Amino acid sequence: MKASFLDYVLRYRLPVTVFVVIASFTITYFASDAERDSVGYSPDQPINFSHRLHAGDMQIDCQYCHTGVEKSRHAMVPAVSTCMNCHTIARKDKPDIIKLTKYYNDGIALPWKRIHRVPDFAYFNHSVHVNSGIHCSSCHGDVKQMDKIAQMNSFTMGACLDCHRNAHDKLPYLKNIKNGPDDCWACHR
Amino acid sequence: MAEAKDKMNKEENSQKPDVNYWKSFADLHNDPALIEASRHEFNEDVTDEFDPAKLSKFSRRKFLALIGTSAALAGAGCSDYRDKGEIVPYTKMPEDTVVGKPKYYASTFNYSSQSHGILIKTREGRPVKVDGNPDHPVNKGKTNAIVQASLLSLYDPDRLQYPIKKTNSSKFTKSTWKDVDSEILDVLKSNSGKNISIITGNIHSPTTKKVLDDFASKYPGTKIYSYELFNEEIRNSAWKKCYGTDSYPLIKWNEAKVIVALESDFLGTDGNKVENSRLFAEGRDVHNAKNFNRLYVVEGNMSLTGTNADYRLRLRPDAQYNFVMSLLSEVSRRTGAGVPFNLSSFALDKFAKAYSLDTKKIKHLINDLVNNKGKSIVYAGRTLPEGVHIAVNYLNEILGNKNLYRTDSSAFSNLTLSSRSEIENLVSDMNEDKIGVVIHFDSDPVFQFPEDLGYTDALKKVSTVISLTESINDSSAAGNYTLPINHAFESWGDAKTRTGFYSLQQPVIAPIYDTREKEAVLLNWIGEAKSDFNDTIYHEYLMKNWWENIYPSLNSKFGFKEFWYGALHDGIVSVSESLNSFGSFNNSAFSKLKNLRANQSGYAVILSEHYSIGDGKFANNGWLQELPHPVSKITWDNYASISKNTAKELGVKNNDKILVTVGKRSLEIPVFIQPGCADNTIAIETGYGRTVVGRVGEGTGFNANVLFSKDSDWLFTTSSVKKGNGTYQLVSAQEHHLFDRSPNENLLGEREIIREGTVKEYLENPHFVSEMHEEEKVDQIYPKHPDWFTGVKWGMAIDLNKCTGCSDCVVACTAENNNPVVGKDQVAVGREMQWLRVDAYYSGSEDDPIVSKQVMLCQHCDNAPCENVCPVAATTHSKDGLNQMVYNRCVGTRYCSNNCPYKVRRFNFFNFRDHFRDGFQQEGILDLVYNPEVTVRSRGVMEKCTFCIQRIATERENAIRENREVIGSNVHTACQDACGTNAIHFGDINNKNAEFYKYRNHELGYYVLEKLNVKPNVTYLAKLRNTHSEKI
Repeated sequence: MKASFLDYVLRYRLPVTVFVVIASFTITYFASDAERDSVGYSPDQPINFSHRLHAGDMQIDCQYCHTGVEKSRHAMVPAVSTCMNCHTIARKDKPDIIKLTKYYNDGIALPWKRIHRVPDFAYFNHSVHVNSGIHCSSCHGDVKQMDKIAQMNSFTMGACLDCHRNAHDKLPYLKNIKNGPDDCWACHR
Repeated sequence: MAEAKDKMNKEENSQKPDVNYWKSFADLHNDPALIEASRHEFNEDVTDEFDPAKLSKFSRRKFLALIGTSAALAGAGCSDYRDKGEIVPYTKMPEDTVVGKPKYYASTFNYSSQSHGILIKTREGRPVKVDGNPDHPVNKGKTNAIVQASLLSLYDPDRLQYPIKKTNSSKFTKSTWKDVDSEILDVLKSNSGKNISIITGNIHSPTTKKVLDDFASKYPGTKIYSYELFNEEIRNSAWKKCYGTDSYPLIKWNEAKVIVALESDFLGTDGNKVENSRLFAEGRDVHNAKNFNRLYVVEGNMSLTGTNADYRLRLRPDAQYNFVMSLLSEVSRRTGAGVPFNLSSFALDKFAKAYSLDTKKIKHLINDLVNNKGKSIVYAGRTLPEGVHIAVNYLNEILGNKNLYRTDSSAFSNLTLSSRSEIENLVSDMNEDKIGVVIHFDSDPVFQFPEDLGYTDALKKVSTVISLTESINDSSAAGNYTLPINHAFESWGDAKTRTGFYSLQQPVIAPIYDTREKEAVLLNWIGEAKSDFNDTIYHEYLMKNWWENIYPSLNSKFGFKEFWYGALHDGIVSVSESLNSFGSFNNSAFSKLKNLRANQSGYAVILSEHYSIGDGKFANNGWLQELPHPVSKITWDNYASISKNTAKELGVKNNDKILVTVGKRSLEIPVFIQPGCADNTIAIETGYGRTVVGRVGEGTGFNANVLFSKDSDWLFTTSSVKKGNGTYQLVSAQEHHLFDRSPNENLLGEREIIREGTVKEYLENPHFVSEMHEEEKVDQIYPKHPDWFTGVKWGMAIDLNKCTGCSDCVVACTAENNNPVVGKDQVAVGREMQWLRVDAYYSGSEDDPIVSKQVMLCQHCDNAPCENVCPVAATTHSKDGLNQMVYNRCVGTRYCSNNCPYKVRRFNFFNFRDHFRDGFQQEGILDLVYNPEVTVRSRGVMEKCTFCIQRIATERENAIRENREVIGSNVHTACQDACGTNAIHFGDINNKNAEFYKYRNHELGYYVLEKLNVKPNVTYLAKLRNTHSEKI
């Protein structure tokens, strides 16, 4: 029987096309995983602020700057005035501090690039997590080692629920931790 | 004949176990169209606009192809991370600010004759919610719809944003404060020989009064005129004739056992509703059912107060004089008290017959008044003529009811309202060219003054007319200069409208636009604007006035600064003032009263203030426009309320226009047939029909102010009414979101949507409500979750004994939960987005029905029918008993709404923010009004009451921080906070020690549609009517 055109299409053309499509999707999916979840996102900031220097070497407590973290759902990026508590005196002559001082003196808003973000319809609350004893590093990674801040973990709903449902495994340093709520309205409202 | 028939009807009724509840005449008469409509998820034409052919030429196939292509392209180019925007912190951190945590400020909000102590919630420096100030002696933590909605007025994009002035081409053009200040100062200074007139509304603030006085002494020839469209003039002048003192006293409503309201809507627009309804509801405490008060209402139109009556008598308003005289005659006969007036021509039984009043009710009324001497109060409406008030005062006198007049506090007036002759003289002065400058000091006389006063024409003769106003109005359009003033939330101030305390006002946001405080504008002119304008000018003046004139008299043990900050924190300052005393009744008050008025014939027209938009000032406020009228449920318009018989007589039906003529003045207005309206009575609410108004208020309603004349009150007896030309579509929400019913069943009664009884029934058998329902064992179709509902379980209890149906909660909910305004055309097809509605049911006869109110919101059923039909699990149940709605999961099938027996789900048919008035709600400034704790929903998703989940979340957050359990009573829903009568209770169902438990498990408690076994978490406490023995 002579192979028809249709036969050729079904035997070779179609499977090859399907394979190529699936393969490229699969490769793209895994290759772009980090980007999609923003893991590793580390844009240039208007001021080259180093967490390694401040939080690591000098061991300034996270809450010296992120004052809202125990009280509010926002950890709060510190006001420029908080930086100026030290930098009116410390390292006044460094180029980035001169830049910072200019922001402060001219009253210009300092636009930090946003690293961590959950969508508008999800209401994450820092204070409930921190007040339960969860370390900042459990979500934000070892910030003390970062010269330039970057996102270390996925902030998707799956990532949230993974911890909410397996709190013991995920947070072994907290002996009495209970699983977090997994009701929709724990986050969505 | 008719009486015999009535009697038969009544006997029939008394044998019938079920009360026939109905929502409208169509409902009562089983209109097949309505029954059919009730079976459907939405109104029939709700999806009319969704003809795909009309929507867009862009086909779905093309759309998908394009999406696919762009996805492929994006995939190819996805080598980098998405940008996530910026975080912009404060440059200098304001003190005590925690981003994400609200701050509260005590302040004051004044409008027309009212002053409300408020607590403004701000987030990151912007006001997001208004509630009552708990320390304020009048508000006690509660507000009304207008005050709640004042938030929206603050962010109104139609507010005037800079000074404007009229140029030669009689068009207004943009100007600057500097220019207008210098031009106006030139006029003020060179205004030789001519006078300056300032026209203001009621002055609430002693400091504002002082500014005006200072202005008058700086510019001699200045005269201040103060007026209010609706005021207490008649009541006060009658009081003065009777007792010699200036103002009618405040009433201890809470101590009254019997209240008789004559054409007075004291729970609505007559007086301070917040205080009146709180005190009234204190006498409706289910834990003290023996001491229920009894409310008699004698009125023409069905008012909010009338809907709450235990006994309601329909009486045309112009017959009230004869009625009260007959009442007086009967009471004096029964008690033996003399009356300094010949009452021989008044007889109650004859009167009752002439106006076909129910003699049984009249008998009860007389008995109750006589038997409750000293514990009853008769209260006449402010629109009734003076004679009625004098007779009512005397009636209270001989019944010993004077001890229900409050002695600890009374109304206080900073500036007496101008008399009619003063205003008339002003107009004639204007006509004679004696007035050089007219300043409208936040007032709108062109809209509100009677036309025959000729004010508008006279204004043309005045060379300089300045309007100080938040947004343009009819008066500003008739002038030369329109100067924008601050909203109350941007202003300093104080208020004294009662003796015994001052209320302070502080700004919570810097002026959004280039506006100034109205007092600051005058102060700047007093100082001749010599230096640059200083925006603290009035703040300093206010403090100085307090420091010099008020603080010394307070004998405060603190220094002024400490005192001042403390006072601002509290929002009120108590002062001790002498108690009021009431002398003896002055019999000569009766001397000028006529002996007998002719029997009324023709039509009586009565005008009253609109429930939500007031005298018209709030016409541009969408929340208030869309709030269904608490009685008729009509939105976005005013109308003439008439009875069914009158409609028949005039040959009109709903929406037909009638022509009302009083003297030479006439008004064409559509009618609404209001069950319970007295025959031959036309009741119209004013405030609508402004010609110069923002985009929201444009083209709404009819200007009923045209009926006023310079010597008329609010009641017209000599009016002719006939059918007018054409119709006008009124939109009522009364028949929206109906419970499903079949043609031949009285489902509302049988299905136990409304369960009610009398106090007597309850005292005899406290369990009568639960006995109305037969427990049916229904198998659970849901999987059992033994670990659910074990901790906190949220629930609500609504006490229908206290609920007056005022609908203030609806606005509070709208403000809290970011609900959009949809517009009249969308309400017409049933797409209103309010999560909370107040259902009104009528029962009894068509002409004289009884009204039952029911606040209806998501019942958060444990066996929720909506949950199991959602194909994407966008609505699910939480372990603490909440029916959750997840917007970002919802695909908009609307199955849930279809399956909801309570019809409380709302679907976003549009992105209403974009749809209403061409994207009016998308103008940048309105972003600020939203509660940042609640998602702003877009097109295509379902939404509904969340039990204020954001407030529950805050309590959870606090509990974790404070390392304690969640306490149910710490959470207050927005509707609960706003409810003036404390009818709404919220809390933890499982906490047996909480106050809420008593309401949730009260023997009067029932679930709506209990037979469905959906297990709601909202309990209703059945309404008890305090009637004598009649079954209702």
